[in-house]
Amino acid sequence: MNDAAETADALAEDSSGGGMRMTTGGAAQRRRLLRDSAGLAVLIAGVVAFPLLASPQLVFVAVFAGVFALAALGLSLLLGLAGQISLGQAGFLAIGAYTSAILTTRYEQNALLASVVAVAVTMVAAAAVGTPILRLRGHYLALATLGFGIIVAVVANQWDFTGGQSGIFGIRKVEFNGRLYDSPREQFWLVWSVVVGALILARNLASGRVGRALGAVNDSEVAAETLGVDTFRLRVQVFVLSAGLAAIAGSCYAHLVGVVNAQAASFLLSVELLLMAVVGGLASVWGAIVGAIFVRGLSEALTTYIPRVIPGASGEYQLIGFGIVLVLAVIYLPGGFVSAGARLARLPGARRRPRTTVPDGGGEGPTAAGDEAAGDTSPLLPREGRPAPGTAVLVVRGLELHFGGVRAVQSVDLEVRTGEIVGLIGPNGAGKTTLFNVVSGVLPPTAGTVEVGGARVEGRRPHAVAAARAARTFQNLEIFSSMTVVGNVAVGRHLRSRAGVVAGALALPARAEEHAIDAEARRLVELLGLGDVADSPAADLPFGRQRLVEIARALATEPDLLLLDEPMAGLSAFERAALARLLRRLRAGGMAILLVEHDIEAVMALADRVAVLDDGHRIAYGAPSEVSDDPAVIEAYLGADAEQTTLGGPA
Amino acid sequence: MTAGVIDFLQLTVAGLSAGSAYGLVAVGFVTIHSVTGIINLAQGEFAMVAAFVAIALLAAGLPLPIAGLLAVLVVALGAAVVERVAIAPAAGSSVVAYIMLTLGVSITLKASVLLIEGPQSKALPAFTGGILSFGGVLVRPQDLWILAATLVAALGLYAFLERTVTGKAFRACAEQPTAARLVGVSPARMSTLSFVLAGTVGAVAGVVSSPVIQTDWNIGLFLGLKGFVAASLGGLASIPAAIAGGLLLGVVESLGAFYVSSGLRDAIAFFVLIVVLVARPGGVFGRTQAAARV
Repeated sequence: MNDAAETADALAEDSSGGGMRMTTGGAAQRRRLLRDSAGLAVLIAGVVAFPLLASPQLVFVAVFAGVFALAALGLSLLLGLAGQISLGQAGFLAIGAYTSAILTTRYEQNALLASVVAVAVTMVAAAAVGTPILRLRGHYLALATLGFGIIVAVVANQWDFTGGQSGIFGIRKVEFNGRLYDSPREQFWLVWSVVVGALILARNLASGRVGRALGAVNDSEVAAETLGVDTFRLRVQVFVLSAGLAAIAGSCYAHLVGVVNAQAASFLLSVELLLMAVVGGLASVWGAIVGAIFVRGLSEALTTYIPRVIPGASGEYQLIGFGIVLVLAVIYLPGGFVSAGARLARLPGARRRPRTTVPDGGGEGPTAAGDEAAGDTSPLLPREGRPAPGTAVLVVRGLELHFGGVRAVQSVDLEVRTGEIVGLIGPNGAGKTTLFNVVSGVLPPTAGTVEVGGARVEGRRPHAVAAARAARTFQNLEIFSSMTVVGNVAVGRHLRSRAGVVAGALALPARAEEHAIDAEARRLVELLGLGDVADSPAADLPFGRQRLVEIARALATEPDLLLLDEPMAGLSAFERAALARLLRRLRAGGMAILLVEHDIEAVMALADRVAVLDDGHRIAYGAPSEVSDDPAVIEAYLGADAEQTTLGGPA
Repeated sequence: MTAGVIDFLQLTVAGLSAGSAYGLVAVGFVTIHSVTGIINLAQGEFAMVAAFVAIALLAAGLPLPIAGLLAVLVVALGAAVVERVAIAPAAGSSVVAYIMLTLGVSITLKASVLLIEGPQSKALPAFTGGILSFGGVLVRPQDLWILAATLVAALGLYAFLERTVTGKAFRACAEQPTAARLVGVSPARMSTLSFVLAGTVGAVAGVVSSPVIQTDWNIGLFLGLKGFVAASLGGLASIPAAIAGGLLLGVVESLGAFYVSSGLRDAIAFFVLIVVLVARPGGVFGRTQAAARV
């Protein structure tokens, strides 16, 4: 498991419960949307009514809860959705605040324009910072972001342009048509309408194509990549978006308080924002809002009561509460308040993986043949624009892969053409899976070339190979364990759909696309005979059927080249036969298939040609009948004494 | 010697002194990380708390050497308590969860000191007075104390890990946890021990450097992060490399503060961190990624 996946497990304990993080398609999603809409309605009513009912002091506290909720929401997306931690969120808040402050005080711009520019400037800065540091993982990323925050604070403190230690004063308040909006009540409505807007955008993003892809990345980065998800780019995008939200918060802060200094970038503020996101719960975008209200309330209470207990207290002593709550939350409340609330209320979906709903045992296998005549060889999933039958879509030349002194793959040549099945066999450790990993971009080769669909892909990342229309499955399953079967397959539609961060956040343009993705995913799930478990958690399926999920997922990318790593393992005899029929029909439809399989009989029956790997070398290549008679192959399989054994043995 | 050369040497000595403290804190990071995989963000707080304990004991009338040693002992035990109370209950958590946990511990410790001691900085007196001159290069005796303490602490740790059965069990647990468990080494005990060792070296750093750096409640953040930078320079895996990383960072920071800008002093370390992490994830003295893969 990678760090992100661990994060998701540990912090978003029930990622399907209590929120809007993941789409799983179908009725469950609609239920969740309905619940969210109800939640939004309550929130909006509260935002309208609160300032009319509460005391001005309380409204004033709530204004700042709203401001910090924005920055915490960004952090929550980064942590919960992209699985990346940042301890420097306040750095971006400060960049936004300073930009807004400088524009209004030095260049006489109005607050609204200044805020928009501030967000843009911050997002550009985040892209510049995020592109190098998001290559880091885990604690390295945490400390690099922490370092970034400190650099911002130090520079703000030292630079004359940012007012040095005294910061920038006299920032103009929000003003329209000459009227100043600065009563707590007006400020509240202003800030919280932005919060509601941001929440809706974040919700849409989390429940659409981008959220699904990032959820997949958290479960299995390598599988998501091989399905065409550009994980690095998505991470940078979420990082930039998260910084943008911090900048809105910073801008609000500057215009509310009228002063900005290096405190805005302080590490302690970054910690406070992190606490808000974590205590609220990362599984849902609601967590940041709940967390912000809780933490601001806690802060107010501590600053009120601590001096009564310890009369001499000064400085930011409320931190003691933050530290203790953070420790307690990580140990005892890993899903945050929102998950805990969902569990208490026994909302539908609050419990992860309802195991009882999964039908036990093997299914009927791929229905492509299961319901139909056994001899059906009608073409399946042909594709407009696929290269003509017999065109080589995979060309491997002189491929080498060395791990230090170990030569896992040595000068291997291989071709796979449209409309043919090539079997790749060899003893354990022969380099079959390694070859797959090189072809699919998981490992860069030491030397040699790999062409997929006419494009050179060696050394490119897996998502680029997927874009060249190659899809693969994994020998050691890489299922997206937090998703349903349909959800898994929907990730395969990533490359065949377009809604990016912006369209996804705005939701409306992406809505029709989501329906199409769901329909296509369900069609493939039916095709592989998984219809009975379509909406079950994929992780609860037996291994054999999980392999079928991986095949459906790979087919969803509309590949020309299908790379299957031991697809028959764990299937019943009946399922094997059905899968073999499916593969024949795909071949008839023009698919090129490279098949690694230990079931030699199945390979010999299916494949048009067979390549044999032994100790990294291709020792034979040809029609199944030629290969099975090849002395080198017999030796590789039965050992050096094969001839003696067969000639002189007691048998 | 010309004034320029003297300046340079002077700055290098100051850098080595500060760098020793970073190196000791870095050793704490390596010790805990090698056994538990955790980056302990409260590492700098061990140093900060030790300095304040020593200052308080001194004020209570104890002689300086006793106050210093007692402070190290208190923090070493305190580190064990931290491990038992806050880290062990979350066994099996993710990297990110542990970051948050140790962050929470760090914040709790520093806020407690703030409540007890207030926001102003304090310092232990220098262990010995006067000033030494080597060919025009002036050296504070405390700088030599710091270097000597670093050497003693590092050698002591080395001897413990190499020469004692417990130390060998500890190393075994870091290198082959499963095999170590099979021969009866308890990972939970080794985890606690790693905190004790890290607490000890961190506390030594805090006590010996207090006369030079002025301890305040928030200094643990900078000490800890610079210690992490030093440990990362060494690839987070080796004790000598961590100390070398600390010394290198101290010198770079000292020279940078003089020749570039003193105000940016604290930013230099983090700039180095980001550049190093992005360019060489295996550390400057550590193995490269390609070599590590074998």
